[in-house]
Amino acid sequence: MSMSNKRKRKDFVLQAITYAASLIGVFILSLIIIFIFKNGVGLINWDLVTNDYHAQYYNGGINEIEIFSKTVKPSELSESDFYSNKWGLALTDDINREGRAIVVVSYLANDSPLHDMYDKNDLENNTFALEIGNIVSSIKFENKESALSVYGAEKMINALENETEFREIVFSSLGGGIRGSLITTLYTIFFTLIFALPTGVCSALYLTEFAKNNQFTRIIRGMIDMLTGVPSIIFGLMGLAVFVPLTIRYTPASGANILSGSLTLAVILLPIIIRSTEESLKIVPDEYRFASLALGANKTQTTFRVVLPSALPGILTATLLAIGRVIGESAALIFAIGTAVKDEISIFGKSTTLAVHIWSLMTDEPANIELASTISIIILIIVLVLNLLVKLLSKAYLRNA
Amino acid sequence: MSSKNEWLTSLKQPLNLKKKKGLIDFVIQLIFLILTIISASFIVIIIVFIGKEGIKPFITDNGGIGNVDLIRFLTGNEWLKGTAFKSNLYSVGFAIINTLYISLLALLIAMPIGVLTALFIAKIASKKLSAIMRTIIELLAAVPSIVYGLFGSGLILVFVYNLAKIFGVQSQGGNSVLATILVLAMMILPTITALSEVAIRSVGKEIENGSLALGATKTQTNFKIVLTSAKSGIFSAAILGIGRALGEATAVSLVAGNAQSGPSLDFFKTTSTLTSIMLQGLKETVGLDYDIRFSVGLVLMAVILFSNLILNYAKKMVGNVDVK
Amino acid sequence: MVNNIFTISNLNLEYGSFQALKQISLNIENKKVTALIGPSGCGKTSFLRCLNRMNDLISDCKVSGDVLYHEENIYGKNYNVISLRTKVGMVFQKPNPFPMSIYENIAYGPKCQGLKNKNELNRIVEMSLKKSALWEEVKDRLKNSALSLSGGQQQRLCIARAIAMEPEVILMDEPTSALDPIATLKIEQLINDLKENYAIVIVTHSMQQAARISDNTAFFLMGELVEYDETDIIFSTPSNSKTEEYITGRFG
Repeated sequence: MSMSNKRKRKDFVLQAITYAASLIGVFILSLIIIFIFKNGVGLINWDLVTNDYHAQYYNGGINEIEIFSKTVKPSELSESDFYSNKWGLALTDDINREGRAIVVVSYLANDSPLHDMYDKNDLENNTFALEIGNIVSSIKFENKESALSVYGAEKMINALENETEFREIVFSSLGGGIRGSLITTLYTIFFTLIFALPTGVCSALYLTEFAKNNQFTRIIRGMIDMLTGVPSIIFGLMGLAVFVPLTIRYTPASGANILSGSLTLAVILLPIIIRSTEESLKIVPDEYRFASLALGANKTQTTFRVVLPSALPGILTATLLAIGRVIGESAALIFAIGTAVKDEISIFGKSTTLAVHIWSLMTDEPANIELASTISIIILIIVLVLNLLVKLLSKAYLRNA
Repeated sequence: MSSKNEWLTSLKQPLNLKKKKGLIDFVIQLIFLILTIISASFIVIIIVFIGKEGIKPFITDNGGIGNVDLIRFLTGNEWLKGTAFKSNLYSVGFAIINTLYISLLALLIAMPIGVLTALFIAKIASKKLSAIMRTIIELLAAVPSIVYGLFGSGLILVFVYNLAKIFGVQSQGGNSVLATILVLAMMILPTITALSEVAIRSVGKEIENGSLALGATKTQTNFKIVLTSAKSGIFSAAILGIGRALGEATAVSLVAGNAQSGPSLDFFKTTSTLTSIMLQGLKETVGLDYDIRFSVGLVLMAVILFSNLILNYAKKMVGNVDVK
Repeated sequence: MVNNIFTISNLNLEYGSFQALKQISLNIENKKVTALIGPSGCGKTSFLRCLNRMNDLISDCKVSGDVLYHEENIYGKNYNVISLRTKVGMVFQKPNPFPMSIYENIAYGPKCQGLKNKNELNRIVEMSLKKSALWEEVKDRLKNSALSLSGGQQQRLCIARAIAMEPEVILMDEPTSALDPIATLKIEQLINDLKENYAIVIVTHSMQQAARISDNTAFFLMGELVEYDETDIIFSTPSNSKTEEYITGRFG
């Protein structure tokens, strides 16, 4: 008996579809990465991380000006940048996300008299200034009608150039920064770990070191294991039903907040931390325990001084995985932390994490795909680094064990 | 711990120190036990508290609107007849059907791709290529759901929209059953691949060698012997995959289109799943429109539990049947 | 008239930097039982696996020299390995039935070669099971899982599986070392019957077994073929002193 051509063809076809199937995974990953980067890279700069999300509105006034600017229009500015010699200011036309025309500050000379502006809403404000990137809505003059942004940058600059003073300049900062969400995310990670790590590690210690192998222990383990099958959105509902009212009752919070979100996430992470810790505790050989006990130490000392340190790499791995999970979690936090993007962050107030911020951006009309992609880049890179660290740690740990 | 050890250690210490150490042990053990019980209790807390809120619409008057009829809730085909805050005519029947069949289809797409990829990684690729592919799958697994949602919203919707145009069908910007299925299939693919790979790797080398020694080719051996021997593990991968698909929320809600009625059987029409319904309209904090969200959650939990039971039963059956 | 089915000359085998076989030359006679004996690690299993090129599956494995099967070098370029394995079957140390029914185990090989005819397959299954003395025991439960058989029965199933391919040679790698004495006896009887139609090459750890069932015996030591002769001669008047030492139990 030998192989016919038909068999050879069937063989080849099966091999071909196997290769093709494997390529699909590669294809999807490439598409995701390309899409996220293409849309998000444009917005990456330091301002993104430090700016507020919501635009801030300002009213600036100015006193008598002694000296005007002597700077000529810099060469790096283009035709579309309209420049005022006297004021050392360049304005240009642009379109905002909603498609409306706006006037943006594209250059401000070092000797511009605009540096001496004061905040009309807060005379004590010493850090008030016009900055590049600010959007100018209007300039109100004493003796003539205001220059409005709807008429364009050129008209505004011309109106300004002909004056030596103005009553008020109304402008706003760009917004679109993620500082608030970033801080919220960091707070959330911190509090989640504070709640989850001790509870999880101690539970694991109990189950491995102290618990007897009876029905009760089996039931406890079963109940903890059941948590892994629950989808995140259900945890979100639990957070909404349990932790949000709890925090509202006992803290200054008035709605879903960082604490209620952290508590919810802690519950999600419990089974992961418990299992990971148990795994690394099991690796510790019993001889260590016997040696310690034979030297007169009690169980507690044995556990904390001998067993636990050996299990630290496993606990560290679990922590890193937990952080990754917190950063990526969206469904549960939509309910447990809320979706309000804020710039002023307090743990009892409303705010949201990076992942939920993406959700918020995508459910807006119109969806802000660019900023969402930028945040995704940040999240993906952090998650990637964490996973890499976990891998390196596991390898190093296994080598030593 | 054997009593001999205890006896030995007890000899070596002065009595009051031993008592103090014993007390510390007792206290620590108690604290640990309490924390463990707390950990275990959350599953109960989830069921009880979501149940408490979720039952309300069916058994209370809902502030004058009237109670929601359970049968109608489970079988109806329109999310809300009437206006919010005024009507008790909620139902998720159509969403249950949508959730089930969309997840099933996503599984049917992801399974062959995932299992074949796992076969490739475990048996066909060289060591280096295997490692690269495995990393790629791990990366795909690490992508958070919201990013899949963003990707789906940005690319998959466009793809489906254009595809619909080719068929001469108008779709709502691409939001559709098809888009949901595709996004879910992408999301469960890494899970299925990873678990199938473990199952395939655990197939003993002896029967592979046995097959090759009979004059079968590597491909024949892979498909006739390896995959069939890994049946049970691959089935487990499928169970986990569909579990994930049933519970996925944010990604689905960004591509489904939030249809208010159904079930949606047209692939290019918008749809709703139980999870996407839970995420829509998050403004209310009291009243029927708030509580009903929990009722939907209860239904979701029941659906997941039920399908898990059925699938695990099916797995036992598959395990007992001999391969033909 | 000596009829050689395998002619091996100057066979060398390396696993990485370790040389497992050194300049092996011998002939395998057709329709005879050839036993390969020697202490652990002497290379007898490696030699066996060269005959159906199962060593190809081990990475970092280099073979040089000639292994002629029907005058053709099986290590030559473009040699059809798949076809070789249908003619040179193998039974392994630990029984390895597929997780399928008894019927499907036997039918597997022929099906892989494209045989679809139900009647033909039935005939082959029955014939193979009869030839391996298993038919009477399983004829009523062919659809049962092969894993429900005892160890000895599973091994006879594996032999039947190999026979279904209608090979010329059956290679056996310590086929009874995992079995109890009664099952071992049954297999030895089977081998005695099989040699009427097939050449059998058997690796065995048990010298008594080699003495009982084989016609020719090859003694391997540390990768070298020390002596190869008729079994009677090897076990009564071996030429090489090392052979004598091994036979009399002074080592190994």
